[in-house]
Amino acid sequence: MRRWFLLALLVAAQTLATTAQDLRLPIKDGSVKFAVIGDTGTGDGHQRDVANALANARSRFPLEFVVMMGDNLYSGNREKDYVKAFEVPYKALLDAGVKFYATLGNHDNPNENLYKPFNMNGQRYYTFKPAKASVRFFSLDSNYVDRKQLDWLDKELVASGSDWKIMFFHHPLYSSGETHGSAEEQRQQLEPVFVKYGVNVVLSGHEHFYERIKPQKGIAYFIVGNSAKLRRGDLLKTDLTAMGWDRGYAFMLVEIVGDDLYFNVLSEKGETIDAGSIHRTGKIEPSPERSTQPVVPGTPAPKNQQ
Amino acid sequence: MRANSLVVLSMAAALVAPSLLGHALAQEQGKASQSDQKVNPEALVLVDFAKRIEKYLDVRKQAVKDAPSLKETSDASQIQAAEDTLAQAIRTARATAQPGDIFTPEIRNRFRHLLYPELKGEAGKNAKEILKDDAPPTTAVAFKINAKYPDGTPLPTVPAALLANLPTLPKELEYRIIGTHLILRDTRANIIVDYMRDVIR
Repeated sequence: MRRWFLLALLVAAQTLATTAQDLRLPIKDGSVKFAVIGDTGTGDGHQRDVANALANARSRFPLEFVVMMGDNLYSGNREKDYVKAFEVPYKALLDAGVKFYATLGNHDNPNENLYKPFNMNGQRYYTFKPAKASVRFFSLDSNYVDRKQLDWLDKELVASGSDWKIMFFHHPLYSSGETHGSAEEQRQQLEPVFVKYGVNVVLSGHEHFYERIKPQKGIAYFIVGNSAKLRRGDLLKTDLTAMGWDRGYAFMLVEIVGDDLYFNVLSEKGETIDAGSIHRTGKIEPSPERSTQPVVPGTPAPKNQQ
Repeated sequence: MRANSLVVLSMAAALVAPSLLGHALAQEQGKASQSDQKVNPEALVLVDFAKRIEKYLDVRKQAVKDAPSLKETSDASQIQAAEDTLAQAIRTARATAQPGDIFTPEIRNRFRHLLYPELKGEAGKNAKEILKDDAPPTTAVAFKINAKYPDGTPLPTVPAALLANLPTLPKELEYRIIGTHLILRDTRANIIVDYMRDVIR
């Protein structure tokens, strides 16, 4: 009897957690739906809480894949590290066929790129395009931005045509974090390339908080580095911040519908921390003269009625 | 006479890794055109470096034959096992390797000169800040030939400006800077191939 009561309580709690999530995305058929998590590799309760909230969100927002912002395994590269900090926390998503795409953080052994569920194809930097989607993702190794990687990026961006171009890598080019701050050195190398080829969105981690940066040279920047670790109070007040949150753990849901990208950042409790949309007007082609793009992050998105 | 030094480099080009030598040539030809030097000994130092890297790759190639291939897998235990086996095979093949086999005194001096412009002034402060960001204490890393880079220890980010000034390495190798020391790390075997102390001033 007691067992049934506990089970009923557990189911009720799960249902509450699901229904409590306040999703503000269109959730349209045929759109590209994915999630962003960062600095996840602790294997602790906070990681599991965020992973459970993400799995709950999927019951209403059928995301197809997850992009990881690096520091995927803090403890090392042994089998138990993969199990504790990846396979167990994300079991529900993995069992449901959700794919994960990882990037390397400064705490990651680069041999992680051999782990198939990270979908890195054995490469330190790579690109992928979801089936039938007009968006291309580029994962960079921001720990080691050498000439070879820059040449590769240049070549891939030229070939990417008019798709949405989303970069993801560990170090944020813009950040209001007290501990790390903006990765200015990497910015000097990467930003001119991003501007030249019309990159739309840049996703990063490293800082253990959430921050949406005001558009920089027409590019939207997000930091999602608090999906397992949190540096409370580390977010300084700067002119860079459009919205920031360093009081809890979070993940981001993203939906692309044509020329609109919707984002919804949720806490581990399912509360909406930030939401909005980015509009891309027209097709963006590589242009050395281009200095800005028609990107408008932060437009309030309608509350989803589903 | 400048042509003579370029001939020497071109002859060496046939013997060593093209990307490395191409970088060395590009760097040194640029300098030679600025001042019409007779011989460019600095270029020869980088050519020597490229040859030493090529020699390491040859040894490594033999070691790889004896180790299970490091390939993509869903079985995480295989990744660590393959890394360890490759590392052991390289250790065996390089059992007599000594510090300075690759970073000779001449190469060390040349590297210091290549890095110095990026480490001075305001720009240099930025590069030094990056090196400190989440960097492990130097005591966490064993500065020994063939030593494993410790599990769970962050790999410090290498400032792009420094990488741009150093010879490009093949994908099997990378530079990392721990505190003030530079290591040459085998990326798949996760071992220290050579190191030079106090390269950062």
